[in-house]
Amino acid sequence: MNALGSRILRLGGHPIILTALLFAILPLVLPMMGGHISLATEVLIMSIFGLAFNLLLGYTGLTSFGHAAYLGMGAYGFALCELHLTKQVWFVPIFSGILLAGIIAFLVGYVISRKRGIYYSLLTLAIGQLFYFIAFRWNEVTGGETGLTGLVRPTFRVRGLFSFDLSNAVIFYYFVLLMLVVTIAILRRIVNSPFGAVLQTIKQNETRARYLGYNTFWYKCACFTISGLCSGLAGVLYAMFTYCAFADYLYWVNSGDVVMLTLIGGGLTSFFGPLAGAAIFIIAKNLFSSYTQHWQIFMGIIFVIFILAFPEGLFGIVKKHKLFRPEVTSG
Amino acid sequence: MAIDPMASCPSAKESEAWMLGHFLNHLFNGVVLGLLLTVIALGFSLVLGVMEVVNFAHGVLFAIGAYFAFALVKLVGFWWALLISPILVAILGMILESGLIKRIYSLNPLYGLLLTFSIAMGLEGLIKLIWGPMGYSIPAPPFAAGFIDLGFVVYSKYRFIQGVLALFLILALWLFLEKTTYGAVIKAGTISTEMVMALGKNLPRLRTLVFGMGSFLAGIAGVLTAPMWGIRPGIGTEAMMPALVVVVVGGMGSLYGSIIAGQLVGIVTGLTVMFYPRLSDLMMYLLMLVVFLARPRGLMGTKSILEE
Repeated sequence: MNALGSRILRLGGHPIILTALLFAILPLVLPMMGGHISLATEVLIMSIFGLAFNLLLGYTGLTSFGHAAYLGMGAYGFALCELHLTKQVWFVPIFSGILLAGIIAFLVGYVISRKRGIYYSLLTLAIGQLFYFIAFRWNEVTGGETGLTGLVRPTFRVRGLFSFDLSNAVIFYYFVLLMLVVTIAILRRIVNSPFGAVLQTIKQNETRARYLGYNTFWYKCACFTISGLCSGLAGVLYAMFTYCAFADYLYWVNSGDVVMLTLIGGGLTSFFGPLAGAAIFIIAKNLFSSYTQHWQIFMGIIFVIFILAFPEGLFGIVKKHKLFRPEVTSG
Repeated sequence: MAIDPMASCPSAKESEAWMLGHFLNHLFNGVVLGLLLTVIALGFSLVLGVMEVVNFAHGVLFAIGAYFAFALVKLVGFWWALLISPILVAILGMILESGLIKRIYSLNPLYGLLLTFSIAMGLEGLIKLIWGPMGYSIPAPPFAAGFIDLGFVVYSKYRFIQGVLALFLILALWLFLEKTTYGAVIKAGTISTEMVMALGKNLPRLRTLVFGMGSFLAGIAGVLTAPMWGIRPGIGTEAMMPALVVVVVGGMGSLYGSIIAGQLVGIVTGLTVMFYPRLSDLMMYLLMLVVFLARPRGLMGTKSILEE
């Protein structure tokens, strides 16, 4: 085999490419199984959210239990910018959503990064609720209970070359997929960098990391901010997906959901866990809620069994039985 | 009909008195709310202290207490419901603990949080299945209707009874933890479970019992507040979040801290309802942030294993 061929093969085996290919064919396969493309889009958005969250949970060992706040901030940042500034220039609302989530995440990270353990979870939860109530009560800005509606998905235009109208469900799906691939690339770069190594040290033993001379406070704060930025991206996409921004996006139950899907996928021990988790979680939720209005009972029971039987998550089972060798990123 | 113009516009002095009464009423509402939140928070932090489990099912147990009372009130009346319903909730809690929750003590605390979260989700679904998604109301017992004249202020009789009962519960818990041998064992369990086991105490039974106590407190708070707050499937969450704030503000594992923080949160909320109702459910979180920035471990918190 010549050099180029093997290079292409190796590139094809690259996890990012594999993921992209897998999801790229999904819209073709999904209708055969009776699914809808919006379901797949939701899976992708939640995957971004899960990956962002997993940077904190899986790599730094910090259980944020209020992460829906940053998703919601992304959605509101996008919506507010569209409603008050511009709908024409496509990148402005998107970046303002991401930026808003990032700024808020930085501020929160600055306040809580001296903490860890259960205290960290409870604080992030309470701060998340703080933002939820602000979004819920501040009618003038956030629309209160009714939320912000009437958003549009921007059209991507490079003058004279191409234009993509995102209100088309399929094009939107591939746009979200592109965003997912970009997120994966960025986050993988981060976790495999020296910075990522320090984060994993903090997960295993923060005191030791401090004694090695790392200012763990800033590492944790930076990690929280990056996670917030990526969650903000997920929020922006979610606002585009639903054409609106609700206070409900910030509700703590959604924060619980993202922890759950990360864990189900096996995010604690693998980078790509949240992708599998998001797929299982969203599809199961849709499946149950389409058959019965009492889907909560079944979800609850399944999660309880899952947590008790497979605490390492899906990727954990795969790894334990050596079905194939996914990347081991942390111990 | 001749109307005396002076009757409808009270003199400055009268209006001042009315203002003061109004203020005292809201202040008392805050105090009573604080006592109730303390009861919920104590159940939560008891479980957190001994088992190191963030019990997200606490809220749903609270809701179940209220629903049981709703079912029982028609059969046996309010006061018996107030007694029986929490006991049933405690039994349910002990079943959950010994069947499910005890399996994850050896794992990362994250799993306890997720397991109870899943249990809460399932139980909330069950509530919706049995009682439907709409809300109900429980009438307060007849003799607690109306108002009571406390001499300096006329106050809702039922809220007054609520406050007294909550105070009684807190006192009983304090006596149990501070003055009985078993209370001492539980307190020891919050410091070192290994040591408790090494001293020959039956740790699994202790944990089941503590969980039962926590559930009892959640259940009884659910019954007590039901005539005031109403009953709906989501009520558990609504009640648990403030209690969680109380735990964080008071400092984890501190009974006195929870009492002080409960009063702080209750009074701040009660007065915000009077002056700026829109902020009423926001203020406690702001309070929490302020307290946290000034005292990172809460008002009375000490360094504990929970920070690891």
